[in-house]
Amino acid sequence: MSALLKKDWFGLGLVLIFGSILISLFKPAFISPFNLYVLMLSVSLMLVVAMSQMIIIAIGQMNLSVGAIGGLVAISFTGLMEVYSMSILPAVLIGLLIGLVCGFINGYITVKTGISAFIITLATLYIFKGMNLGITEAQPFYEIPEAVKFFGNAKIFGPIPYLVIIPIIITVLMWILMNRTSLGRYMLAYGNNVQSSELIGISSTKIVIYAHVISGLLAAIGGMLVVCRLQLGTPNIGDSWLLPSFAAPVIGGAILAGGKVDVIATAFGVILVSIISQALVIFKIDPFFVQIFLGFMILLAVFINRYREYREERRTKVFSDE
Amino acid sequence: MNNKIPNFVKTNQFGLLILVIVFICIFSFSTDGFTSRFNIYALSRVVALDIMIGLAMMVVILTGGLNLSLGALGVSAAMFGGWCMESMGIPISITIILVLAFGSFLGWINGFVTVRTGVHSFIVTLATMSIYFGFMTLLTEAEAFRKLPEAFTDFGSLKLFNKYISPLLIISVLTCFVLYYIFKYTDIGRKLIAAGANPDAAELSGISVDRMFIYCHMLSGFLAALAGIMLTARIGAAIPSMAGHLGFDWLLPAFLAPVLGGTLLSGGKVTVFGTMLGAILVTLINNGLYLIDVGEFWVRFFLGIILLGAVLLDRAREYFTVKNSIVS
Repeated sequence: MSALLKKDWFGLGLVLIFGSILISLFKPAFISPFNLYVLMLSVSLMLVVAMSQMIIIAIGQMNLSVGAIGGLVAISFTGLMEVYSMSILPAVLIGLLIGLVCGFINGYITVKTGISAFIITLATLYIFKGMNLGITEAQPFYEIPEAVKFFGNAKIFGPIPYLVIIPIIITVLMWILMNRTSLGRYMLAYGNNVQSSELIGISSTKIVIYAHVISGLLAAIGGMLVVCRLQLGTPNIGDSWLLPSFAAPVIGGAILAGGKVDVIATAFGVILVSIISQALVIFKIDPFFVQIFLGFMILLAVFINRYREYREERRTKVFSDE
Repeated sequence: MNNKIPNFVKTNQFGLLILVIVFICIFSFSTDGFTSRFNIYALSRVVALDIMIGLAMMVVILTGGLNLSLGALGVSAAMFGGWCMESMGIPISITIILVLAFGSFLGWINGFVTVRTGVHSFIVTLATMSIYFGFMTLLTEAEAFRKLPEAFTDFGSLKLFNKYISPLLIISVLTCFVLYYIFKYTDIGRKLIAAGANPDAAELSGISVDRMFIYCHMLSGFLAALAGIMLTARIGAAIPSMAGHLGFDWLLPAFLAPVLGGTLLSGGKVTVFGTMLGAILVTLINNGLYLIDVGEFWVRFFLGIILLGAVLLDRAREYFTVKNSIVS
């Protein structure tokens, strides 16, 4: 039990359960099938985006271009199908390839020049977004194959949409990567301490490029899922991803300096943010409050993490005195 | 042998100056109207704002941090100014003082939270960006203040020096000199740099690093608010969306100018005039790209490429200077 209490996701899980019960007591509409459906859709889209940022946070960097990659892939994916009447599978593959290449560019330049990933991804953010606007001239693509539309709209049973399948698979894969594979452990080691990870023989080139490539792939998947959801490919897909992409991992206890991320807690962070946004809508609170709230949530999460670290430090100090 | 080359030539301000001159030559020969009175006036209005935004970011980069809330803060302060002048009828001079104080206060919040929690300012200002912008939109109900006093809006469209230069540019250049003086010759300025360069050493030599970092954030808020007022004067109205959603339109120029100017992201080094030259270069390229007619949608793409090229060049320059100094 005490082991459970120490997990990052445990406290979040309790907050989620009690919060949902409280909201549904006040507003039974909260657990109506339609509301659950909307909730699951928003959770599944943000889940992929949050994971895309989380893996970069794990190595102690940040990726500002997540949204720009998502947007570029989204319009390429729809553009290939509409303008070049390509079938779905090759369009998806090319979309993934673009995400991979974008991620590779980020990782390669960052690790080879040693310039902070913040500046590199700020530059590539503008490059990818500029390509997106240059190609589309800010016009959306409307012609989407029926199968894609179906995938974005249909429900498996009850309120559960098809769209949740891919994010759930990704979350499971990410958990395995971070907790059960040497690559994931190496990433955390690298994020924790670059020098000592290099001293024990971890190739920083490999780790940074892998992390950015995975981030690019996830951003690409996120972009294509949004296309399925919206039923069209607009150039502004991804514009609003930056804040939530950091919010969920940070609420989930990730340390921005790197070396500590928790996949389950990040997923719970996504759900928490979605539930709160949804609740604010149900209670008919001004949508701009959602934004303020998200800001305060990040600050609160940061305070809580700091406090826990502080307590842990004190505890270890007591032990060392004995 | 190296002594024959003046030190100035080795700095990247010199490289920037050359680039600025090269671009001016290219654009004046290849496009019509680049050197026209109208274009130079328009450029001076834009460059004034870019310099101010760049300086506002520079003083936070000095601490090794960032200020993502820059745009949101500047717009919030400007909207506050619009409210003071239009709804409250407060005189212009007092309004400007209030706005600058308000901006400094918002900057203080950023600094205080950053210092007290020990969290990187990236995440703190990401949160406050959203909070400031959200509150501003809620309080103004996304409505603009358009009935500002004429004396104020006239100042924004004033033309000086044979109608070539906007007074806004003079404010920015003056600010550069003041900042240069502060960082170069005053006690507090040296302390700010020391705190940014090596916090531990500064702390040991009796400088309160926390307080210095808070001062930097306040200064950033002050300059962002000043940029907000200048933008309001230029447009002639205070509009919630004048820096884009969450103030994001300010973010690229804010980073471009100091980074091009040679400010180290790890902190501890400021280049006031480098930032000014960086802002001039960005504005020139932006303006030139429009005149060359690359299409407004590709401008962003080229700006990204230029930022990337600039940081890579800077890295190469560092590499060669280090190699040279080892050889000599």
